[in-house]
Amino acid sequence: MSTEYAIEADGLEKIYRARFGGREVKAVSNLTLRVPVGVKYGLLGPNGAGKTTFVKMLLSAVHPTAGHARLFGEYAQYTESRRRVGYLPENHRFPTYLTGAGMLNFYGALSGLSNYQRRKRIPGMLKLVGLSDWGNVRIKKYSKGMLQRLGLAQALIHHPRLLILDEPTDGVDPAGRREIHGILDRLIEKGVTVFINSHLLSEVQSFCEHVAIMRKGTLAVEGKITDLLAGAGFTINASRVPALYLNEIRAAGATVLRVLNGVSIQSPDSDHANLVMDKIRAAGGTIDSFAPSSASLEDLFLKATAERDD
Amino acid sequence: MSSLRVFFALIADTFQEASARWLLGGLFAISTLLILLFLFVLQVDVAAGAVSMLGVPSAFRRVYNIQHFVNVSYAWTCVGLYVFGTFLAVFASAGLVPSILEPGRIALLLSKPIGRTILLLGRYVGTLLIVILNTVYMVTGVWFIIAYKTNIWDRHFLLAIPVMIFVFAVLLCVVVFIGVLSESAALAVMVPVALSLISALLSQHQFMIKLLNSEWSRQLWMGLYWIIPKVFDLGHELHYFVLIDERSDWITPIWTSAVFGAVTLIASIVMFRKRDY
Repeated sequence: MSTEYAIEADGLEKIYRARFGGREVKAVSNLTLRVPVGVKYGLLGPNGAGKTTFVKMLLSAVHPTAGHARLFGEYAQYTESRRRVGYLPENHRFPTYLTGAGMLNFYGALSGLSNYQRRKRIPGMLKLVGLSDWGNVRIKKYSKGMLQRLGLAQALIHHPRLLILDEPTDGVDPAGRREIHGILDRLIEKGVTVFINSHLLSEVQSFCEHVAIMRKGTLAVEGKITDLLAGAGFTINASRVPALYLNEIRAAGATVLRVLNGVSIQSPDSDHANLVMDKIRAAGGTIDSFAPSSASLEDLFLKATAERDD
Repeated sequence: MSSLRVFFALIADTFQEASARWLLGGLFAISTLLILLFLFVLQVDVAAGAVSMLGVPSAFRRVYNIQHFVNVSYAWTCVGLYVFGTFLAVFASAGLVPSILEPGRIALLLSKPIGRTILLLGRYVGTLLIVILNTVYMVTGVWFIIAYKTNIWDRHFLLAIPVMIFVFAVLLCVVVFIGVLSESAALAVMVPVALSLISALLSQHQFMIKLLNSEWSRQLWMGLYWIIPKVFDLGHELHYFVLIDERSDWITPIWTSAVFGAVTLIASIVMFRKRDY
């Protein structure tokens, strides 16, 4: 049994068939993905890309049409594989008749915790997510952000090794978001794998180390964020460059933007950047700074989800 | 041990949900009202009741002595409770199965290390236990009031408890099946009630097959009679058992209804295990 990966998906496919011979919809197609143990992994994609279907296949809420998924080397369809998983669904509907502590007690029991373990862990979990004073209040009185934090607590109560979070900071204010990230960071230090399905690119870029971008049920891009965002050329900031030379630089294929004290020049590679800097110096200009430039995750996302459109 | 813990947690959750939705309180409140009705309102004095029967037109007067009057009273009260209690239980419980299938709730439940069969059976048993408690309370309460007032302690009446529980257990299988199939609480009420009414019609098979003019229609009638749970027949048997303590063919309606319930419940489990949520 392999334990190198928290999640392994091999040729995973899901086709939804409408009843009475209606048309088929391929939600996920031949998806192969590996999530190493102990990383912060982000899953991105536009609406309808198949992200939620993929996550539900990992949790066996949706049965794959083809392929298989494994959690810590164990087939996802086996009940025991989910013992090491904590899950916070998107658009969750927690039983509103329960109190915060009651909900943790219920889901803790379903996760296999004994009465003693639950009694011991519930106060700590409520404290962890900042809901100590709300434990005995029915959750129908909770705000959206409080529900998210309580949802995180129920996902953590059985000390999972893999945390699958669907839009974890949805409805949470910036301070609460930071708190949640802090909690997740502490879990990472303990070796927990965090898998986030989010539409917030900034959240994934700032929090995750790895990212996968899905498009139309397939994997469009996958890898370490630093690797994926590198290789976007170089940025040269210069001043006192005569306008005549700027036109020459533009003609050589660089992007030139006027900034407060001069210009910012985007160069596609190092040879081109050296050529541009030679021209600036020859014209009497000054190089203020020179650095490799990085694309934003948004650029990568738009590129990954737009290209190859039929 | 872990499976048992999960099972008990699911049963406890069913009670909590029933309580929060006022189903538990509502059931017991209605049962209490019924018991109070027998306690304060209904005239159940044997002599006075028998004398008042003399005022009933002769066509309806089939009471020949006090003992028979008591038996008739007991039998009809018992059947009344059977019909009332069974339908009340179906109405009260029909929403409890579809509620766990709501999107956002079922996905989280399925993410836990529990089998789908246990999840569904936990709900089934939880709902059944609620109805068992209410049935025992309602029937025993009414029986006690009548027996105390008349000083006739006829224990046959208490047979209504297991019969009602059995019939509800079968109808709950239909509720679960429809709940899993359609996720609609309204339909989960309609179908078992319709089956109960149809069972009354089908039970008239000895009369009906004489009216039907083709062999296939007679076979269809009889086929349906054997398949559909015999809610009416069991009520009929209960009535006669309390009334005259004989003519009790319990075996056929029980085993055919039990088979129907078991097949329906197994079909629900198979369907639930295969569905995507």
